[in-house]
Amino acid sequence: MNPDEIDQKIINIIKKDPEMPYSRIAELLQISEEEVKEKLEMLSDTRQMILIVDDELDTLIPLKMALEAEDYLVIEASSGMEAIEKTRSNHPDLILLDLMMPGMDGFEVCNVLKDDTLTGNIPIIMLTAKGEIDDKIEGIETGADDYVTKPFDLGELKARIKMILRRTGV
Amino acid sequence: MVSKLIFKDHKYNLLTILAICIFAIALIIFLGSRSNEEVQNIVQEQFNEQQLLLARQSTDGIEEFLNQKTTIIEILANEISDKPPDEVVTSFVNVYNETTDIHVIEFVNESGIVTLGYPEKNSPLGYDIYENNQEGAFERARDNKETYISSPIFLLEGGMGVFIWTPVYRADEFKGVVLVIIRISDISERFLKSCESPHEIYMIDRRGTILYDSSNRYLWGRNYLEKLGDESPYLQQILHHQMNGSEGTGYYLEMNGSEKKLIAYSPIHWRNQLWSVAVTSPVSEVDTMINSVFVKQGVFIGVSGIFLLLSSFSIILLLTRWNKSLELEVASKTSEITKSNELLKRANKKLMELDKLKSDFVSMVSHELKTPLTPMKTSAEFLLQDDPDPETRREMLELIVRNIDRQTRMVNDMLDISRIESGNMRFRKELLDIVEIINSAIETMRKQSEEKKININTDIPPGLTKINADKDKLIQVFVNLLSNALKFTPNGGNVEIKAFESGKYIEVYVKDDGIGIPPDKINKIFNKFYQIDNTYARPYSGSGLGLAITKSIMEGHGGTIRVESTLGEGSVFILAFLK
Repeated sequence: MNPDEIDQKIINIIKKDPEMPYSRIAELLQISEEEVKEKLEMLSDTRQMILIVDDELDTLIPLKMALEAEDYLVIEASSGMEAIEKTRSNHPDLILLDLMMPGMDGFEVCNVLKDDTLTGNIPIIMLTAKGEIDDKIEGIETGADDYVTKPFDLGELKARIKMILRRTGV
Repeated sequence: MVSKLIFKDHKYNLLTILAICIFAIALIIFLGSRSNEEVQNIVQEQFNEQQLLLARQSTDGIEEFLNQKTTIIEILANEISDKPPDEVVTSFVNVYNETTDIHVIEFVNESGIVTLGYPEKNSPLGYDIYENNQEGAFERARDNKETYISSPIFLLEGGMGVFIWTPVYRADEFKGVVLVIIRISDISERFLKSCESPHEIYMIDRRGTILYDSSNRYLWGRNYLEKLGDESPYLQQILHHQMNGSEGTGYYLEMNGSEKKLIAYSPIHWRNQLWSVAVTSPVSEVDTMINSVFVKQGVFIGVSGIFLLLSSFSIILLLTRWNKSLELEVASKTSEITKSNELLKRANKKLMELDKLKSDFVSMVSHELKTPLTPMKTSAEFLLQDDPDPETRREMLELIVRNIDRQTRMVNDMLDISRIESGNMRFRKELLDIVEIINSAIETMRKQSEEKKININTDIPPGLTKINADKDKLIQVFVNLLSNALKFTPNGGNVEIKAFESGKYIEVYVKDDGIGIPPDKINKIFNKFYQIDNTYARPYSGSGLGLAITKSIMEGHGGTIRVESTLGEGSVFILAFLK
């Protein structure tokens, strides 16, 4: 079932019966109670959502903490496939996308997301350990909105995130 | 350039050269036949000339002989005009003895009676010519006062003879005639016999009477023309020429018409007599001569033709062979060049592969070296800027330390591999118990194994022979292998280490039930810089140097390492240490 449809259905159910327990909703939609809870939390959260995509857990953790401290809602993905799935189900306001990943790399993920009308408007900042010019050009050509070289300056990254979010008017 | 053109088509060239050969031979034959005609004419002329000369030689001899005799007789006649009969006989004897081939010398007195003669046996003394009606010649000599020669007639004593009548005058008084008879056979014996073979010779007088015939076909003394009758018009013509006193040559056909003959004839002028000698020879003789010339020419043409053919064929053969050997040489050179090109290509490909490996390695290394920096930097900056709660702070610091360790390992691997590459890896060898080594490696990896809940089982018999090795390096070998095994084995899996003695080796098996190694990659995993596949191996990222380092350490100890693996079931690394 399409994640968007699930969201829509949860909203419809709650509109009809605001008192329905999570377990009942989970039963109706044939998903777990946890997922329902998570979905509802997300739906009720008004913070700006950032998806961080990196295969290195050690890179994800401190970045997530730093961004959460800035009062962003942060979700994570550790592979290209997971990144696409989470983008489609959660519609983040911004994606921080690592370039070098096993399986589907950052360029491919960027292509897939930008080609999809539902996700094409989500800004993407590419992160990579490679500081090569060629990568920069390809990154921008595939529709990445910005490009940050690892190891990045945390303050600068935050400023760029803020700037892009303001520009897209979320 | 030329040889290229010539040898484009062997068949065509062969035909061309053959044609040239045949043309040359035809030319030789044509020129030969042209010159043959000339040769034939020349030979014919020469032959005719030669025959004529032969005839002339005979006639000259006879003419001189007869004239000489006549002169002697005339001198004799003059001498004896006033001599008494006995002195005359003495003169006769002298002349007879001094000259040759005189049959008889007689003296016929003024009334026509033979009165003297020498030799006496040939002299019909008292013979009266008037009585025998032979006075014609006698009277002619007497009346003309000069020598008269009567035509040859048969002698009483056999054979033919010629009578020479020389008158004897004292002043104007006729005394008689000196009659000398010369036998024709003596003349022919002296002058004609010698040049008979292989020719035939005949002699006729003005009337056509046959005086001599070497073929003996016709009776001597018979008239040749009468004998011929209507036959051989050519011969008759020739006979007429002869009887006219001409000299020359001519042809006629034998009476049976089978053979063509050449006659060369020459006259003998002797006072009032005219004789003619003819040398007859078959024309076939000329043909034989010409034929022998032809045969020689033919042999020459044949030999030169064969020589031409053989030499041109041998030239063709030689050139063809030469060409073939050239082709072979070119082919072998070409294949050599192709081979060396192939080698160069392969070497180039290998170099390019190596280059790619190296640049892959460089980008890998730079990525691996940069990767720990990102979390360290992010964490440190976060700690600086946001002053988080103690738990988060602790988590951040641990993260920083972990990444420092990771980078340290990376740098150590890099140093190891650079030592291996430059051949500077040193071993401090000592006698070691392999169990201790394995146990300390397991101890090192305990944390990782516990995290993934992987059991490490050992099966090592007690009392294994000690080995001579570098302790730290050997621990590194097992740590590397265990680290790989743990990395590629899913949570809750098993890793097993077995050791046993096998001949002069101690073998150690490190077995995991991890993801295994694809068969097409199994030969490359010990290569420096090699990681199975960037995308494939990344969940288990490492420097790609661990196994290369491990292999180098094993080889530095005189040992070996190999791997057996089934994709999806696990791998076994088999180490063999020299005891």
